Amino acid sequence: MTLTSKPLSVILFAILFGGIALSSGMGWWATESTKEPAAFTEGEFAGLANPADIRGSYTFGDIANSFEVTPEILAQAFGVSTDDPAAFAVKDLEAIYLESGYEVGTNSVRMFVAFYTGLPFDLTAEETVMPKSATDILLAKGNLTPEQVAYLETHTVNVNEPASAVEPVTESTPVAEETHVESTEDYTIKGKTTFGDLVLWGVPKETIEALIGADMPDPAMKVKDYASANGLDFETLKPALQAEVDKVKP
Amino acid sequence: MVTMFGKRIRLFRPRSIWIRRVVQWFFLLLIALIVLNHSLVESGGGIPFLASASLHGVCPFGGVETLYTYLASGLFVSKIHDSSLVLAAIVILMSILFGPVFCGWICPLGTVQEWVSKIGKKLFKRRFNHFVPVKLDNVLRYLRYGVLVWVLYVTATSGSLLFEAYDPYFALFNFWSTEVAWTSLAVLGVTLVLSVFVERPWCKYACPYGAVLGLTNLFRVFSIKRAESTCKADGACSIMCPMNIPVDAVKTVRNHQCISCLECTSEAICPVAKTVLFTSGGVK
Repeated sequence: MTLTSKPLSVILFAILFGGIALSSGMGWWATESTKEPAAFTEGEFAGLANPADIRGSYTFGDIANSFEVTPEILAQAFGVSTDDPAAFAVKDLEAIYLESGYEVGTNSVRMFVAFYTGLPFDLTAEETVMPKSATDILLAKGNLTPEQVAYLETHTVNVNEPASAVEPVTESTPVAEETHVESTEDYTIKGKTTFGDLVLWGVPKETIEALIGADMPDPAMKVKDYASANGLDFETLKPALQAEVDKVKP
Repeated sequence: MVTMFGKRIRLFRPRSIWIRRVVQWFFLLLIALIVLNHSLVESGGGIPFLASASLHGVCPFGGVETLYTYLASGLFVSKIHDSSLVLAAIVILMSILFGPVFCGWICPLGTVQEWVSKIGKKLFKRRFNHFVPVKLDNVLRYLRYGVLVWVLYVTATSGSLLFEAYDPYFALFNFWSTEVAWTSLAVLGVTLVLSVFVERPWCKYACPYGAVLGLTNLFRVFSIKRAESTCKADGACSIMCPMNIPVDAVKTVRNHQCISCLECTSEAICPVAKTVLFTSGGVK
């Protein structure tokens, strides 16, 4: 079969626009996401999407399209139980956390995405709280700056404990004093102390790894559970860790 | 046909594949309008009945760039959308059938290079497109595969379109905006200047998408084929080829740089009917 230019041009149009029409009919054709955050305009991150521009109308899937964080991670971080985390809208978080009394919402997601991806985020702009499940993920990722760890130490909330037990978080209320609901506020290692608690108290990850002789476990894991699961004597490990806590505790 | 000395004589006049120019300008204007509309929509306006996609949304190379990330994680690299993947698939299908027709018929950057090259053709006549020594030219033709590997590597490892900062195609449609990097503007500028001396310099030496599509020349269904029985070996096809392919030296063009422009065929420059054909069958 021989083709000349005119039939070829017709075929090209047919394949191109026919293909687009077909993919559109199949629901595969999307030329852009209107849920695309604005980019940083200057500095070393210029051109990258800015987490601060995440809107309440974005879904976790929208966020995943602009940032290196999956919908599953976001769902796990913010305690969202759904079969389709990508379709979950950020604005719906407030409804989930309404009863807890904590203002876990869009700005919490913004901060989480920024910390998770290593992008800049202005911590002075707004007091923002983070659910403990999100903090655990961030600590496990291990790319936080000391400033970010310090911020999380004072702004992590345990949403299973009602906020009514403490003062609600408001802009005029120092979050650090009101929402710190760690399992052991007296910095004493107990049976329910987690590795995440140790990091939040200021014990360097490297120090923990040196004492247990292994990589940092899941921050949500209790030290006691880890010891028994790995053949370590908790009563021996505890004083060693406690000594490190005592060195760094406020 | 003219009558001279009582005989009817057919005078050969080189023809052009004019429909290709029409198609090229159609897509150049279409993409330009879509990009313009994208800006208008962002500022609250917009042209009715016209797509308002971003340039990335209608670029098939984005589908190639995001392929690794998509297969590895199910996500697109930043700024790439489903449409890029769909377009990449469509263009690959076209290329398997007809070779890199996207380059020769659709790509607006190719169109602009051809347009600038008209100046070079007028200035340098037959010297145009023959400035680069053949040996050096043959080596440089493989440079675009290096560019392709680099682009795919940095995109896969960064999850971002780092190539955008050097992409003349992005600069062509965003030269007026603050989004465009000076480096991509510089690459565009160099490309356009070189186009005065060389036909399609970006396509020949640096285009990573051309590198991908060029590979289909090795197994495409429809190819440029030359009938040796009727060929007068005048070399017209080779002289006309914008990619400097020696069409008159081969029976079937399998050169990785062919862009299926059809300018070498009997429909255009070849003076003998049914001698250089775009066909899926054999020729004698």
